[in-house]
Amino acid sequence: MDEKQIRRDRLRYSKNKTSSGLALLAIVLNVFYFVSIYKSDVGNYYYTWLTGVSIIFNLVFMLTVFLCSEGVKNYHLGYSVTLIVVGVIQFVRTRIIPKKAYEAVVILADQETKVMTDAQHTRIIIYLIASGALLILAGVIGIIKTATLRAYEKELETKTAA
Amino acid sequence: MASLKLQHLEKIYDNKVQAVYDFNLDVKDGELIVLVGPSGCGKSTTLRMVAGLEDITSGKLLIDDRDITSMPPKDRDIAMVFQNYALYAHMTVYENMAFSLVLRKENKNVIHQKVLAAAEILGLTDQLNKKPAQLSGGQRQRVAMGRAIVRTPKVFLFDEPLSNLDAKLRGATRREILLLHKRLRATMLYVTHDQTEALTLADRIVCMSMGHVQQIGTPLELYDTPANLFVASFIGLPPMNFFEGRIENGSFVSEDFKYPLNAEQKELLKAYENKEMTLGVRPENVVRADSGIRVRVNLNENLGQTTLVHGTAGSSKITCKFREWCDYKEGDEVYVGFDRVHFFDKETSNAVR
Repeated sequence: MDEKQIRRDRLRYSKNKTSSGLALLAIVLNVFYFVSIYKSDVGNYYYTWLTGVSIIFNLVFMLTVFLCSEGVKNYHLGYSVTLIVVGVIQFVRTRIIPKKAYEAVVILADQETKVMTDAQHTRIIIYLIASGALLILAGVIGIIKTATLRAYEKELETKTAA
Repeated sequence: MASLKLQHLEKIYDNKVQAVYDFNLDVKDGELIVLVGPSGCGKSTTLRMVAGLEDITSGKLLIDDRDITSMPPKDRDIAMVFQNYALYAHMTVYENMAFSLVLRKENKNVIHQKVLAAAEILGLTDQLNKKPAQLSGGQRQRVAMGRAIVRTPKVFLFDEPLSNLDAKLRGATRREILLLHKRLRATMLYVTHDQTEALTLADRIVCMSMGHVQQIGTPLELYDTPANLFVASFIGLPPMNFFEGRIENGSFVSEDFKYPLNAEQKELLKAYENKEMTLGVRPENVVRADSGIRVRVNLNENLGQTTLVHGTAGSSKITCKFREWCDYKEGDEVYVGFDRVHFFDKETSNAVR
């Protein structure tokens, strides 16, 4: 077996830990995101109905990504695609609560005060974007590895049949 | 592979119990040595000292003439296979076998090739993606062996690897170990209390009792010319029959019978005239005769090709292994003779040769 074939053959016995690990890391970054966004630097917060939706989304997000991290580990194509979709959603999310909260103003001691400082906004945007990027990367790696493995298995089947 | 030397090895535990006394052994390159003896005789302690899992109280341990007495286990280049397999339940067979090499940070492609080669040898290729819980006992033990093989160690140590298997599987796995040894020509040290394993596997056997080496020799040597009463009683199934008596006027005289010595035996036992002796006869050396020693039958066990007859010759118990189908009833009487006997000095319990 040459190097390339050994690398492909290894896929038969090893799990896709890279994608799985990246997905789990994305969950961690998402946790940093929601911990940061619910804790305002200026001691107040911009509450709307979106906050409730956001909390529910975060829970669903974590559950979905965790399931996908297990599925992608075993080379299931569907889970890889799901990771990419969820990753894209993470990018979209930067335009919803973070943007609204950043633009929001509250009156504190008769003074207009911004709900979110520049630093906090930058931080949560980084968390979301990094989380989304990791998910997309995990999904892409998952798709590539799954396709490689399937092709290799087909090749082996053909050889065995011959 | 490598040669292994154990020189004057002793083990005394903190509570002053001495487990091993002055153990000396030269294991040649590619040799399979079996340490055999009853529970508590010090065989596993000796193996664990070689592995580095027990401190050596005194003595030296050399691999290829390099002193490894105080070397930590990880640096000894020795692989050990345990009775309880010691597999990681959450890892697949492949991962279990690859684990030690992953820890050594070997190239993943090299690991892959080594694991596949070991799996091929052990017939585990189709099981590589399974977890240990999905395997039979024999397969798990093969995985444990595979884990040892991939490391290509200098010495393999086996600590009663077949004890957890049922009788049928034990036989099959024993044959696999033998084939593996023939294929790898590896230096192996194997501990068991099962004499069948010892006799079938070993190039040489070390028979131990109470921490002392009783005899070192080939399986045939231990069976045919046991060094003392312990080895004679331990090796052989059913065990050897023993009779107490004296040498008198060219005969062995016991309370129950008189056994005339031939010229060779007379010469051998010249110095033992009128001394207490123990006569040993293997059950397979007891033959049916028209006259001679009278045996009263207690139990008749037919084993197919042979029959085991348990009985008494006077006050002494005797087991006979006849090469034909017999159908004795309790209380029947049969005359027997001995076609091969062993003599042991009653005082020292050593064989007289």
